[in-house]
Amino acid sequence: MKIKNLYKYLSAAILILHLYSCTNNTDADPLFDETPTTRLNNQKSELNTALLSSEFGWKAVYFTDNTVLGGYTHLFKFAEDGTVEMASDFDADTKVYKSEYAIQLGSTVSVTFTTKNRIHLLSESNNYPIPALEAKGYLGDFQFLYYGQENGEIIFRTNRNNRELRFVKATAADWADLSKNLEMEKNVIGSDDRPLFRMLETNDGTTTHKFDFLFSAATRFVESNSVETGYAVSHDMGVGYTPTGIVVSPAVEVGGQKLTDFVYNDADGSFTATGTNGVTATIKYTDSPLVLTDDYKLMLPGQPLYWFGYFTNDYTVEAPTNSKLFNDEISKINAALPEGQSILSVELYTNTSAGTIIYYSFEGRDPIQHYVTVEEDAAGKKIILKHRAWDGDTTAPTPSFLASFDKHLMDANGLYIKKESFKLFYSEPVYTITSASNPFRMTTWKLN
Amino acid sequence: MKLFKYNKIAVLALVSIALVSCGNDDQPGDSQLDYTQPVKTKLDNWITTNYLTPYNINVQYKWNQNTVDNSRYLFPPTIEKVQPALEIVQTIWLKSYATIGGADFVKKIAPREIVLVGGVNLNSVGTRTLGLAEGGQRVTLFETDYIDKSNRENVAEFIHTIQHEYIHILNQNKPFDEKSWTVITPGGYTADWYNYEIPESNELGFITSYARSNINEDFAETASMILIYSKDEYAAFLAGIQSPFALEALKKKEALVVKYFKEAFNMDFYALRDEAEKNTTAVITN
Repeated sequence: MKIKNLYKYLSAAILILHLYSCTNNTDADPLFDETPTTRLNNQKSELNTALLSSEFGWKAVYFTDNTVLGGYTHLFKFAEDGTVEMASDFDADTKVYKSEYAIQLGSTVSVTFTTKNRIHLLSESNNYPIPALEAKGYLGDFQFLYYGQENGEIIFRTNRNNRELRFVKATAADWADLSKNLEMEKNVIGSDDRPLFRMLETNDGTTTHKFDFLFSAATRFVESNSVETGYAVSHDMGVGYTPTGIVVSPAVEVGGQKLTDFVYNDADGSFTATGTNGVTATIKYTDSPLVLTDDYKLMLPGQPLYWFGYFTNDYTVEAPTNSKLFNDEISKINAALPEGQSILSVELYTNTSAGTIIYYSFEGRDPIQHYVTVEEDAAGKKIILKHRAWDGDTTAPTPSFLASFDKHLMDANGLYIKKESFKLFYSEPVYTITSASNPFRMTTWKLN
Repeated sequence: MKLFKYNKIAVLALVSIALVSCGNDDQPGDSQLDYTQPVKTKLDNWITTNYLTPYNINVQYKWNQNTVDNSRYLFPPTIEKVQPALEIVQTIWLKSYATIGGADFVKKIAPREIVLVGGVNLNSVGTRTLGLAEGGQRVTLFETDYIDKSNRENVAEFIHTIQHEYIHILNQNKPFDEKSWTVITPGGYTADWYNYEIPESNELGFITSYARSNINEDFAETASMILIYSKDEYAAFLAGIQSPFALEALKKKEALVVKYFKEAFNMDFYALRDEAEKNTTAVITN
């Protein structure tokens, strides 16, 4: 090719390129009608409008981590000047406080509570409910990323832990009744007048399943495992309080239905969540332990001598399994004793050569021995203790300061004996003795 | 050859077309970014008057996830606690340096931003981080919700934090004599400083246990602790040291601090301490 032809073609090529260059047709359809900046601005104002739109503000039951903690109810009332009024059921102080908030751009548009208020109580590194959460507080967040709206609810995801949090429209009653949540907490913890045993029972319309139910008030969290062999299901859940009951997360799934809202019944202290087609889940008290053990058998006549003891000056006194009624009865003994005297121990010696003895020892006075007989309630898996003599004297009356305490051990309905799985500092096995009639449970070491 | 002439004309024409072709009459409109300033509260105005205008220091008390460690469980200060905290910082730190170092001293070498955090920054080993200084630019102060002006110990701890962090800022501007410092107590530095009682560390020639974490912290702790102590208190502290080695080490470190302030900033360190003491008393008795 000659050089001048080369120039010709080159010129022609450039000319053609020019002719195409200025067409505006990019063929690709724009995905959005507006620029990213406009869209972000729109989202910001959309969120702010939504926050300001509800007459009585918003309510959120914030489950910071429903594998270890429960839900904390917060009420928010946003104002146009960038302030927010807030109340929470984190603790007994359910009053309304004012602080500031801002619509900020994080990884997306978010609402951030920029100065301290109630919600920050969940994010206080040195206020944590259990040692495992040291330096992490209650795992709370106070910057919530906006993910749109659904059925009048605002959907957020928390900034740090990426958990969904929904703001639902609050009512005047929500604000007025917030303190009732903490009244409800007492019912979740359980009254001293109720039985000591509790369970979760699910019913899918045809079959029922039973789960144990262990609530921790510090974390508002429940551990609940099936007590049936061959049915390994757990319903561990976080609990949030409402004026009428509790709301749980994760939901209790029964027969394919997800139950979250439990209603309290003061008549029997139960909480019931009701689905459709006969599906229910109920948290209720029971008079007997869910799982009856044969641990009582080592106290029956014919067994070797065993020694059990509760001591007021040792780790048994701190055992969480001691019930309030038991602790109250111990205090009652001390109150009835003269100045300078107090109870030191309650011990049980089974099957000694002189029979079975309850041995009370004291600071400042001689010990007292209560001789008893032991009977078996094989069906109820209990022992029944019956009075024989005080200090070997069958006609001696019950010492007045011991009467109230001792009658629980003489429960005509019997005593449940359970070897616990935990230890109290030392390696000795821990046994609890529980009255079948009253919420009386004492914790002992088996000392031989 | 004629063809080349036409070529030149053609090229010129093409270039002009190219320059004109994509012209567009649309002019850029207003910015789409929202640049309206947020409404300033009384507190914001106070900060402008007392920090921003005189010292060119910005104070950030509202939560901004970009200025804090998001893996820590912290929270912003209560609004009512912000100004009292800043007043303490202003009186004891800013005014003391302005008086001794000259009115412009802090303006030139200061963190450009103070971040206030309300909550405790608890570490997993049980220690609390009281403050942070980053890149000579930013100082973060924790626990501002817990300042109790009537409690000298409490105020001293808070002021210790800012004095300590400011020493870091000064060091980040002009390094201290690290060579001389390293050889004074080379064996005492340890990562688990928090396992040692303070008197135990004192007897090894360290003013606090935290000073044992490394020489930078040692320098900042030595300087800031002397600033916190009154003259008499510091003399009493030295008099209580049993080990002759420790006493000599502490004195050597003190001399290096004094020398650093003189040589780097032409400042009398002892005069600064006396001024800080005067201002601390003023804060607590107010």
